[in-house]
Amino acid sequence: MNNNSQASASGESFSVAITGSGGSGAVTAGRILLEAAAHCGFQGLMTRSAGPQIRGGESAAMVRFSPDPVECMGDEYDLLVALDWLNIERFADEIPLSNKSLILCDPAAGEVPALLRSNGAEIREVPFKVFASGLPEGRLNMVALGAAAVVCGLELSAMEASVRQVLQGKGKQVVETALRALGLGYNHDRRPRITIPSPGRQDNRWSITGNQACGLGALRGGVRFVAAYPITPASEILEWLAPRLEKLGGSLLQAEDELASINMIIGASFGGVPSLTATSGPGLSLMVEGLGLALVSETPVTVVNVMRGGPSTGIPTKSEQSDLNIALYGLHGDAPHLVLAPLSIRDAVFTTQWAVQLAEHLQTVSLVLSDQSLGQSQAIIESPLPCERSLQRAVERSPGGDYRRYQVTPDDISAMALPGTPGGMYTADGLEHNTRGTPSSMAADHREQLNKRLRKLEKYDFGDDWAEVEGDGEQCIVTWGSSTGVVREAARRLRQQRGEVRVIALRLLAPLRQRQLRQALEGMRKILVVEQNHGAQLFHYLHAQGALPPSAQSLAQPGPLPLRPGRILRALEEPFLYNTPEQETDHAGSRTQGKRL
Amino acid sequence: MSDQAVVTIDTVGEFLVHALELEEASSDHYEELADSMEIHNNLQVAELFRKLAGYSRQHAKEVQDRTEGMDLPKLTPWDFKWKCPSSPESFCMEEASYMMTTTQAMKIALFNEIRGRDFYLQVAENTANEEVKKIASEMAEEEGWHVEMLREWQTSLAEEKPLEDLDPPNMPE
Amino acid sequence: MPVPARKAKDYKSDIKPVWCPGCGHFAVLAALTKAMAHLGLVKENVAVVSGIGCSSRLPAYIDSYGFHGIHGRALAAASGLKAARPDLTVIVAGGDGDGFSIGGNHFLHACRRNMDMTYIVMDNEVYGMTKGQASPTTRPTWCNSKMTPHGTGIPSFNPAAIALAAGAGFIARGYSGEPSELTRLLVEAMQHPGFSFVQVLSGCVTFRPDQRGWKELVHPFINDLPTEDRVKAAQIIQADDGKATGVIYATEFPVWQPENRTETELSELEEEFYL
Repeated sequence: MNNNSQASASGESFSVAITGSGGSGAVTAGRILLEAAAHCGFQGLMTRSAGPQIRGGESAAMVRFSPDPVECMGDEYDLLVALDWLNIERFADEIPLSNKSLILCDPAAGEVPALLRSNGAEIREVPFKVFASGLPEGRLNMVALGAAAVVCGLELSAMEASVRQVLQGKGKQVVETALRALGLGYNHDRRPRITIPSPGRQDNRWSITGNQACGLGALRGGVRFVAAYPITPASEILEWLAPRLEKLGGSLLQAEDELASINMIIGASFGGVPSLTATSGPGLSLMVEGLGLALVSETPVTVVNVMRGGPSTGIPTKSEQSDLNIALYGLHGDAPHLVLAPLSIRDAVFTTQWAVQLAEHLQTVSLVLSDQSLGQSQAIIESPLPCERSLQRAVERSPGGDYRRYQVTPDDISAMALPGTPGGMYTADGLEHNTRGTPSSMAADHREQLNKRLRKLEKYDFGDDWAEVEGDGEQCIVTWGSSTGVVREAARRLRQQRGEVRVIALRLLAPLRQRQLRQALEGMRKILVVEQNHGAQLFHYLHAQGALPPSAQSLAQPGPLPLRPGRILRALEEPFLYNTPEQETDHAGSRTQGKRL
Repeated sequence: MSDQAVVTIDTVGEFLVHALELEEASSDHYEELADSMEIHNNLQVAELFRKLAGYSRQHAKEVQDRTEGMDLPKLTPWDFKWKCPSSPESFCMEEASYMMTTTQAMKIALFNEIRGRDFYLQVAENTANEEVKKIASEMAEEEGWHVEMLREWQTSLAEEKPLEDLDPPNMPE
Repeated sequence: MPVPARKAKDYKSDIKPVWCPGCGHFAVLAALTKAMAHLGLVKENVAVVSGIGCSSRLPAYIDSYGFHGIHGRALAAASGLKAARPDLTVIVAGGDGDGFSIGGNHFLHACRRNMDMTYIVMDNEVYGMTKGQASPTTRPTWCNSKMTPHGTGIPSFNPAAIALAAGAGFIARGYSGEPSELTRLLVEAMQHPGFSFVQVLSGCVTFRPDQRGWKELVHPFINDLPTEDRVKAAQIIQADDGKATGVIYATEFPVWQPENRTETELSELEEEFYL
């Protein structure tokens, strides 16, 4: 094996997986590694994988860093740090290795399992346990981290700074011991595996999770009331927001269930305070009736749905983009509303803010489809730009004698009187109503209000933010939400290898910008729709909307395994045929298909 | 509601407040009945209640006129000296039904009007204040005519068949 | 300077109730507007919130801000509104099905949460709007619904007992046939700091004509009430026939209400993300 300057398996980036039994410190080690990389000027991403247990079972941290933005995990890992071999089989298929990979392990933990040896990875043994037990309260994850730092080409000083930062709350003694353990691991074998030139300290770098980014976007959008019920993997949004809302003059109310949380935010928003809740699939299912109420009473609310494997309880700790259908179609009646999806952790700040402001301005329901892979991953990113757009709710402050809450106006947005305003009194209602808000079952009123609620969305100019479109050529990948990261990486590689490709990453899913989408697809010979679910939900939605030519193909792969760039490249190479039967193509369950004619 | 067996009202102000409340409540109550009868397509009975509401409104106006320029005491809704749970002319709400006939409606009206009259009679009998006695007696007399008129009206009505609901709500058989 | 309306009638809107003639809810509406007039509430600072059912139509009949939400969720919507707008007087109205069946969980937690609002349940032991099915407060042997031809066979729900167990600080029972007394109960409930619960026996003349007989059965509590003693209140409620009226229990517990006080700017909070 060569040392130094060997190209990593995943291009100008380095991917590390740290695994161990739950409680062995894999995740803490991952965080320290990520922040050390950040100190050296890299951007990065850390995802975690854990079983459903509170502690125990298996636990893994996957870290990838690069001088460029990192928005997904690569095809395979450069380094596997195995703190022990317990339960390794449970996530072996989440950590693809090759003969270019290196496995760092402790001979005392037993033999490297055949499952991992078979791919030809190099094995480097370091006596983690011996070093750790030589120190009072010594932890072997820190020894392993030191050894890993050498392999990653990260400087010891950066590692030390990161240890101090991450462990500062644990007391001086713990930090000192950790530093010594780190040093022992670092100095044991100084052969670096790869060195990506360090970009050097960068300003304006943020360390943030997707759930925090959604929370921040909500605050930037003006949200000052949140009611919610805890649920994996959305709870961190709520935990992050609760103390911060208090400082900003708002509040968070922990509700008795999701039926309560949606209705509570509707009540608060009726009172004039921009309001939001966050949940995941099962909670969203419970909220759907409430969404209809918000929509019909034109009370703005935003729901962040952090998707996980479904249906039912599904796979709560793993990611999947399978709630698109319920978000688009879940409401009974004709219920036009907004569905948005952040395209990356960094973008979650903007998208959530935009979603809140659109809901406020258009007096409707905004659904934000984040997911576990964005929400629970930690990213080192360039600080997000401040959002310049400022949309607000139209509020009627001095209603005249004949105030009509649901007046049909040129833009179909009618100013809302808030409780406390003399002369504006009305009853908001889930019943169909006339322009005054009085319940009505007359055909004319129903038609008028249906039109109003649809047209206010249709007439609004959403501008260029409906999608991010990049690249040219004759082939195109259409995707949405969190799959954008992996699609962009596939596109980048394709461009390096053999030419052009266009990527259309949809941020605004409903109302679909059909005209703009068709324009962006013009002249494309090959169109591949990529998403992380089993039912090809986006693919079918775009077809239903008449936005795709019959030749378009789908690549849909359900969770829990992440989509990898190589899989997308392979799908593009497959022959595009009309009416291809569904093909089960790999162990991740991804399927390619064409339109059934 | 008062538990007193005998109602005594000894100031003109207090009496007029009672009279005003009685007549206004009665008028509101009949209006409400008329409205809901209209909503439920019992127009004949609605018309009757509308008429009764008119009488009460007229009475209320007369009482109002008497209070002109007076400084009336303020009573909380539960400090009125009614002998029944609500003001005397507004009782028996639950006896109403969208299927009721004019005869049945008349019965309710008569019951209420008699109670109204009796209230004024009792006040007149038991008060120590001559002025109160005088006004209360006048009002009792007026209500008395009212009662008589209703009685005549009632006897002039032909015997009615009970109303039928050809499209009943999901009433159990 | 906002001026309170003078008369009960001023608190009624110009929308005519859909209720059947003879419905007890008319008296509840009248008592509520009288209570509002008595307390001198400024109309636009009041919000009446409800769910679904005959009684839940009430907000539209009051001349204030109203919120007629979805079945069972009135207390949730009201709690959100009160949390965000503590300056408002929040009144929640609904029926026994809305409050004790589909909305039962919110009832428990609204009692616990003790936000400053008044919850009026017009209890007629039947689902009126859906045409006469048994509700949680219907007695188990009532066989007049086609949906439960042999009766529900399950004991009826005791709202006062549940409210007490769930931590409500003000529990009263009134009767639509005694509007003056009911007005007094509602005034006391609205004056109580925290969550106040008023169960109103309000008969359904259409589907429960038997409830016309309530006027013979309803009686005031004979005990020395209200009590502040939870154990005594529990004994009284358990021994009670469900037809006694009055304020049963009144105690002040800490009221849950966020402060909504601004201490800092968002840009300061964003500093935490910089490396």
